[in-house]
Amino acid sequence: MSTNPVNMPPEAPQRYGEIFDRGYKHYDGPRRGRRGAITSLIGYSMKRAMGIRKSWTAKILPFLLYVSITIPLIIMIGLTAIVPDLQFASYSGYLSGIFFIVGIFVATAGPEMICVDRHERTLPLYFSRAIARFDYVTAKVIAMTLLTMTMTVIPCVLLWLGRQLTADGVWQAMKDNIGDLGRVIFVGVLFAIVLSVLALAVSSFTNRKGVAITIIIISFLVLTAVANAGVELLDDMEWSRYLIALDLSSVFAAVSDHLFHDVNMEIVDRANFSLGAYVAYLIGLTVLGLIVLRWRYAPRDDA
Amino acid sequence: MPTPETSPASQPNPDAVIETRGFSKSYGKFLALDSIDLSLPRASVGLLGANGAGKSTLIRSLLGIIKPTGGSARVVGFDTQTQGIKVREHVGYMPEADALPMSTTAADFVGHMAEMSGLPPRQARQRAADILYQVGLGEERYRLIKGFSTGMRQRVKLAQAIVHDPQLVFLDEPTAGMDPKGRDEMLDLVERIYTTMGISVVFSSHILEDIERICDYVVILDGGRLIASQPLGDVNALTGEIALQLESGADRFAAALAEKGISAKRMESETSSYDQLLVRADDERVYDVVRDVAVAQHAVIRGMRSQARSLEDIYLGNVGAAREVNRVD
Repeated sequence: MSTNPVNMPPEAPQRYGEIFDRGYKHYDGPRRGRRGAITSLIGYSMKRAMGIRKSWTAKILPFLLYVSITIPLIIMIGLTAIVPDLQFASYSGYLSGIFFIVGIFVATAGPEMICVDRHERTLPLYFSRAIARFDYVTAKVIAMTLLTMTMTVIPCVLLWLGRQLTADGVWQAMKDNIGDLGRVIFVGVLFAIVLSVLALAVSSFTNRKGVAITIIIISFLVLTAVANAGVELLDDMEWSRYLIALDLSSVFAAVSDHLFHDVNMEIVDRANFSLGAYVAYLIGLTVLGLIVLRWRYAPRDDA
Repeated sequence: MPTPETSPASQPNPDAVIETRGFSKSYGKFLALDSIDLSLPRASVGLLGANGAGKSTLIRSLLGIIKPTGGSARVVGFDTQTQGIKVREHVGYMPEADALPMSTTAADFVGHMAEMSGLPPRQARQRAADILYQVGLGEERYRLIKGFSTGMRQRVKLAQAIVHDPQLVFLDEPTAGMDPKGRDEMLDLVERIYTTMGISVVFSSHILEDIERICDYVVILDGGRLIASQPLGDVNALTGEIALQLESGADRFAAALAEKGISAKRMESETSSYDQLLVRADDERVYDVVRDVAVAQHAVIRGMRSQARSLEDIYLGNVGAAREVNRVD
């Protein structure tokens, strides 16, 4: 039994909670302005395209695509470690091998970034924030390019690293092949920028994700088929070598061939353009894509 | 607080939250906004007009979402043409249409919108949680928006509009599509935004009673023209007239009043079977005169009340007058 004297105040109950005033408080903290808004949009777009903070089904495709580019990478590095003279782990071979996977990736991630905002009509909300219209496009292009680079640059850099680590003299091999590292980064970045801008440009014409994905994949397949069939059927025509421009996988193979000299494709041999010509063509495509995006997101009365 | 740039030539009113001069917008030959001149105080402003009056166009033009075709505007001290980003940094916007990503949580989306207004990520998350609590979605903030009711979605839209603590918020038909209870709660929230949070509000609606309830200033648009821009303080003020309901003999009663120097005119009413008179009441003496005339004529008075001016009177009076002027022109 407790012995609490009559005149003593009761012991204060043990404190187990507090009541906070949750009235409205003005925000007087830092504001990062336009740059902060763009950075936020880049991060948010990347997360959404990867299915982060979305249902588990949204994560399946990106996961499978990453697995698909990682398995050949592991096999290549593993085989090089076992049989160093096999020269199995060629950069061009790897890039050619993953081109279709990267194609599927940009064909799905691009529409996810662009079409969903149109479909769900969140664009007016974005354009009422502290950004200009082209900032929105810039953020989407950067987000898409960074994501694509995780498929085109990081695995190639890992491949380069794997090749050096399995060589006899690791440091010497790294020193000798530092040029290859620059080249794989160059081709990976080029690859990512061009595909990203094109995917976004095509996606900007519709607010239906499925339609955009279909158009990108079918366009890619049809143009590739037309280019290869044309080169095959019109081999006596001088101009047929320009058909390579329709087949982006062959254009990238040609760029790789110029950089690593290990590509053996008829369409590439027939075309026989200089590295500068290919790079200029890819830059031209990128600029065209950006012009299309700028036009699609110019201020409009129906925004 | 921002430091608004002021141009000596235009001499903006420092107390005005929105100022426009000849602000116009046309879609081809259709004039959606016709040279609007406005100077709105920091207040809860009702933007009133029928569908197609130009309310949404005005809001979207002031935000820079669509380009005006003429004139100039300053919002929270910034020029909308040259300082659009600054304007949008300090202004919130709740659009009329659905504008929410369905497969994200309210907390994620509102936090992202706070970041899009320049708040650092940590503060943005904290603000999002606080504001969702303020709009009554504290418990539901981690649920996907696609599972929300219309009222809850409207609250999310409201939350994203004020999460960055703007000086001014544009609310475009925030009660559209809501049931009476939800509408009532939304109006309470909107009222709190100005009275408790201290954020100026421009509240667009075509519902008179919504504006009458929560606004202290009204802007009336009709066919893209500015019809009225005035405080609502004189709404419900007495008009200096008495509405008199008589069982019969209104004309005789009016004539008797006129003999005693009090003007009265007959009113037609479709809802009442009694004769109605509108009696000018400049002072208290009129009640005695009415009594005396009623006694003298053995008239039966069925009702008598002082007339008050409603927002509907202001709206109909101004819109009707403006249309009459247009017709004559």
